[in-house]
Amino acid sequence: MSITLKDQAAIVGIGQTEFSKNSGRSDLQLACEAVSAAIDDAGIEPSDVDGMTTFSMDLTDDIEVARAVGIGSLTFQSQIPHGGGAALGVLHQAAMAVATGAAKYVVCYRDLNGRSGQRYSEGVSGDLITSDSIHWSWYIPSGLMTPTSWVALVTQRYMHDTGTTSADLAQVAVSTRKHAVTNPNAIFYERPITLEDHQGSRMIVDPLRLYDCCLETDGACACIVTTPERARDLAQKPALIRGVAQGSGADQESMTSFYRDDITALPELGIVANQIYAQSGLTPDDIDAAILYDAFTSIVLFQLEAYGFCKRGEAKDFVKNGNIEVGGRLPVNTHGGQLSEAYIHGMNGVNEGVRLIRGTSVNQPEKSDHVLVTAGVGVPSSAMILGKMD
Amino acid sequence: MSQSRRLGDVKVGDALPDLDVELTAAIIVGGAIASRDFTPVHHDRSAANAAGMSDVFMNILTTNGYLSRFVTDWAGPDAALAKVAIRLGTPNTPGDTMQLRGEVTAVDPEGGTVDIAVAAKNSWGDHATGTVTVALPK
Amino acid sequence: MPNAALEEAFAPFVGQDFGPPEIARDPVNEAMIRQWCDAMGDANPIHWDAEAAAKTHHGGIVAPPTMLQAWILPGVRLADPDRPPSDKQEELHALFNQHGYTGVVATDCEFEFERYLRVGDRVTAKATIESISEEKATALGIGYFVVTRTRFENQDGELVGSMVFRVLKFKPSQPPQQASSGDAAPAKPQRIPAPRGHDNGWWWEALDRGELMIQKCSQCGTLRHPPRPMCHACRSVDWEEQPSAGTGSVHSYVIMHHPPVPGYDFPVAVALVDLDEGTRIVANVVDCPFEDIHIGMKVECSIEELGGVKLPVFRATS
Repeated sequence: MSITLKDQAAIVGIGQTEFSKNSGRSDLQLACEAVSAAIDDAGIEPSDVDGMTTFSMDLTDDIEVARAVGIGSLTFQSQIPHGGGAALGVLHQAAMAVATGAAKYVVCYRDLNGRSGQRYSEGVSGDLITSDSIHWSWYIPSGLMTPTSWVALVTQRYMHDTGTTSADLAQVAVSTRKHAVTNPNAIFYERPITLEDHQGSRMIVDPLRLYDCCLETDGACACIVTTPERARDLAQKPALIRGVAQGSGADQESMTSFYRDDITALPELGIVANQIYAQSGLTPDDIDAAILYDAFTSIVLFQLEAYGFCKRGEAKDFVKNGNIEVGGRLPVNTHGGQLSEAYIHGMNGVNEGVRLIRGTSVNQPEKSDHVLVTAGVGVPSSAMILGKMD
Repeated sequence: MSQSRRLGDVKVGDALPDLDVELTAAIIVGGAIASRDFTPVHHDRSAANAAGMSDVFMNILTTNGYLSRFVTDWAGPDAALAKVAIRLGTPNTPGDTMQLRGEVTAVDPEGGTVDIAVAAKNSWGDHATGTVTVALPK
Repeated sequence: MPNAALEEAFAPFVGQDFGPPEIARDPVNEAMIRQWCDAMGDANPIHWDAEAAAKTHHGGIVAPPTMLQAWILPGVRLADPDRPPSDKQEELHALFNQHGYTGVVATDCEFEFERYLRVGDRVTAKATIESISEEKATALGIGYFVVTRTRFENQDGELVGSMVFRVLKFKPSQPPQQASSGDAAPAKPQRIPAPRGHDNGWWWEALDRGELMIQKCSQCGTLRHPPRPMCHACRSVDWEEQPSAGTGSVHSYVIMHHPPVPGYDFPVAVALVDLDEGTRIVANVVDCPFEDIHIGMKVECSIEELGGVKLPVFRATS
């Protein structure tokens, strides 16, 4: 018998801290606050939680959170590697755990003092954030040592191959910012930008400018996953996981897959896309809104193509004329994304995906029956399609 | 130096002649004393070490002194400095080289002034960057 | 989370003068001017040659304008470690120190000049604490920006110039190190050399000898880079080194601008180069205007020291 993850799990609670540049508290405290809020949102007790999953880059031990929140005993624990690529990897773990009975209620969480603590923009030059120093040894001596630089190298080639320009990237920054402007939780609440602002912003790593890059934020997010059967009896309208998957491509490196014939192909995204569409039986045409991982503007274009919303090289046209804003064909990052709401390694996007299904987003589109949520690009990745329960 | 530059001779984009200053303890301590700034980190190596620095480092008045000299070397004796606005960065220590660079960014024929974007780099990065406004004879 | 107790305590300082106006101990004099010009290498004759100065519109010897603050600084008394706080600014700094905001760094300095000082003038300075920012997260740690403004007048009460200073009082994010002269930061930064391990060390050692190598499978002959212990084509763990001709073309490239890293002298160009043998390598492109670098540009390699580290560097093929 072959089973799939279609409709085997639902997100029943979400929680988050405020987003700031200086939380003034420990990573552990942020995690506890977000997890606690998610538990309350779901209307369950801490002792109901018996599974926990997070990113291997997270600095907070799951059992420390469990002790502090009063979660008690656990029957399922896991951590997913490769930074933001883990964002839906944790949901994938949670879905598998509840579908198989390994756990009843799994909490997925991510906390980081990403502005006041270790800033990822500083790259791997100082305290290596990975034990894999041999990997980085091929890039550090030349100066290619920040996430912006690794993505810029792929972006440059993509722009060359597709005729995409910096002004096209600006469209993503401006559209995303529009959503943050009306979101009181966003760092850039009430602070719109124009295409000219983008084009006038300073170069970080040519061809990427300041407004092509995401925020760095202090904060935490968490969500609770259980089975659809249990979900029916809980406080919130469940967000059903119609499909969820991970993927790592051939010749994959973490952020530096520079040795493939086509460095812009990003086959890992295709591996993820094929699985979630096959599981759910849905197609890109069925997706009403998307939370696309936006550490940089260019990777939104890559994903619009990889997840089948337009053909290769056509994303630059797809993002024009408000097409990725509320009211357009595919509202993208209705919370303001990581470019403009907060950078919580994709987990703030998971919470927004749930709000879109509940109908409680501050930028709620007219229709949001199916919402795509994606994870980091350039790393082994993951994605999920959320839907409504009958 | 005896020739003064005139406003009409200057246009946006003009580069000032480069000035590279080989930094010595004498320059740094000499500048501190000439500006009567006896804060110990500018003349006492052990005080600089205690502050986490390898050696004594240049005080801000000396940086301003060098930047204004860099501009008046180019502008000549009839010039009058109107404004020196800088952002401070990496410290200047003996053994390093301070590279002063400048470029005209604005010419105001009415007010008779010229804006010059200035940068003082050392091997750690930007020691100081900013704008010097100087009045030139018409 | 802002420090409410501190913010309440520093609020009354905003708008306050440091103390009574400070009057220069000495009038503007040629000796101090000459010492300043010697220290700055300033050969402008308006500061020392009365005859030449008279021919300029300055009309006689004038003091270098950026010397303004030197006329009122207290000199060697500044070095006394036991000196109690003598004005409001020092009291404010002491308050920050009590709350753990012990770090201080000047971030901006702005002079405006109304008139040049002449020999015999006497300067009076009046300094004010102009503003204190809200709490900011900075690379050094969380802290507050304090802006002070000093107004300088001559003996006739005429405005000579003003100086605005912005300093950051911060809580050091790293505890201060007990540095000794032996282990303090080096005077010149270097690039970060590649960490060397079992699977990559040989490649860097070859580079140290001046050779650019490609790893070649001894069994099936497949080339691979970056080096790995096993051949992905045939799973052999036997391999050998093959010298590369060092010629190729740019597959993609970036210009690193920010954040600056000591030792790297940004902006620098970094390219992904297709070597003619078929493997790729990440390295710097040098001696080529950034706007001329393009995908497909033919390049050739030489091995040189950049920022104290021996590295492959590429130049456009002539």
